[in-house]
Amino acid sequence: VNKPAVQTVFIMSAQVKDGDMKRGIVIKDDWPGYSLDLFTYPEHYHHDIENVYIPHGIIMDRIERLARYVMDDFEDSKIVVLCVLKGGYKFCSDLVEFIKILGRSSNRYLETRVEFIRLKSYLNDQSTEDLHIIGSSDLSFLRGKSVLVVEAIVDTGKTMMALLKHVETFGPKMVKVAGLLVKRVSNMAGSLTDYVGFEIPNRFVVGYALDYNEYFRDLN
Amino acid sequence: MASYLQIPDDEKGHDLDLFCVPRHYENDLDKVIIPHGFIMDRTERLARDIIQDMGGHHIVALCVLKGGYKFFADLLDYIKVLNHNSDKSVPLTVDFIRIKSYCNDKSTNSVKVIGGDELSNLSGKNVLIVEDIVETGRTMQALLSLLSKCNPKMIKVVPDAFLVGYALDHNEYFRDLSVSVGKSHSY
Repeated sequence: VNKPAVQTVFIMSAQVKDGDMKRGIVIKDDWPGYSLDLFTYPEHYHHDIENVYIPHGIIMDRIERLARYVMDDFEDSKIVVLCVLKGGYKFCSDLVEFIKILGRSSNRYLETRVEFIRLKSYLNDQSTEDLHIIGSSDLSFLRGKSVLVVEAIVDTGKTMMALLKHVETFGPKMVKVAGLLVKRVSNMAGSLTDYVGFEIPNRFVVGYALDYNEYFRDLN
Repeated sequence: MASYLQIPDDEKGHDLDLFCVPRHYENDLDKVIIPHGFIMDRTERLARDIIQDMGGHHIVALCVLKGGYKFFADLLDYIKVLNHNSDKSVPLTVDFIRIKSYCNDKSTNSVKVIGGDELSNLSGKNVLIVEDIVETGRTMQALLSLLSKCNPKMIKVVPDAFLVGYALDHNEYFRDLSVSVGKSHSY
């Protein structure tokens, strides 16, 4: 008998509060991650990484859902996606792709235009307060537009706060923030982020374009 | 130069009805010349060719914004799959630059690189430039001569010459297509 492949495993639901949805997938402090042996990764990182904290597949599934939140919320038919480089490039690329896929199979189509801003906010694994913009800081293309800021990780929230202040000076119509990972270190981080992929403990994570001094971006 | 897929001048392309195209572009587009899946299959092979040529040493993948970013992300995904699944893997770092080209008095093309890390980081590395379109090649020539001053071990270019769609644009529209309606030359 041919059985169709099951793509997602569902469990009968318990009661879930609406407010919880905003926190995203919550990863507890004591989450041990998965053993490296259960997945593939580049050999040259063999001794440097501890475990697989969030597998690539679940990142993709979660982003697919975020794309739908974005489609539902933005009433305009056009948005400007402001991708925060370098860490945000994978999340942005995959989120925009899902928005496009949803658009092809529904009556609503959200036209996305992607712009880039490069920030440097970590030195080694410590986040800094200042907003260092590399390259052009001119965001005048945001004037009057509906903007979705796409950032890979929101830690203390200081960088995001500073970035949002900078964005506001260019007079956008509306600004929302999508953060793939939000650290459970401050209330500010959570409240700044409208679309949260995963809420994580205060651990230093790499991969999926997130780096440690430019290493590890090439993990999935 | 590695082998490439040549699309003839008289290529008819496929009817739009045979694919999913966003409604609001239906009246503006003519045909689907290169379907998205085909782009991905070709990209997968480019990744293999790249690892073969450049995999001996640390690769810096340099993405030329804005047009190149989608192709860049997909190409790197395929390179990462190869890296994850072989005995040897090559360290891979990424960077993003914008290019402003201008003609000076002598009408030779010059380029200015905006954004990006210190170009001196490229010294001794295998540099892969991922650009969206190479039309006349003059801008690319200028970029290559600028970068070669930083003494990389090797520089290779992946031009991705789709005219419209696949993150390229026509006055900022059409970037959000996944199929393309133009010619293609490859690495």
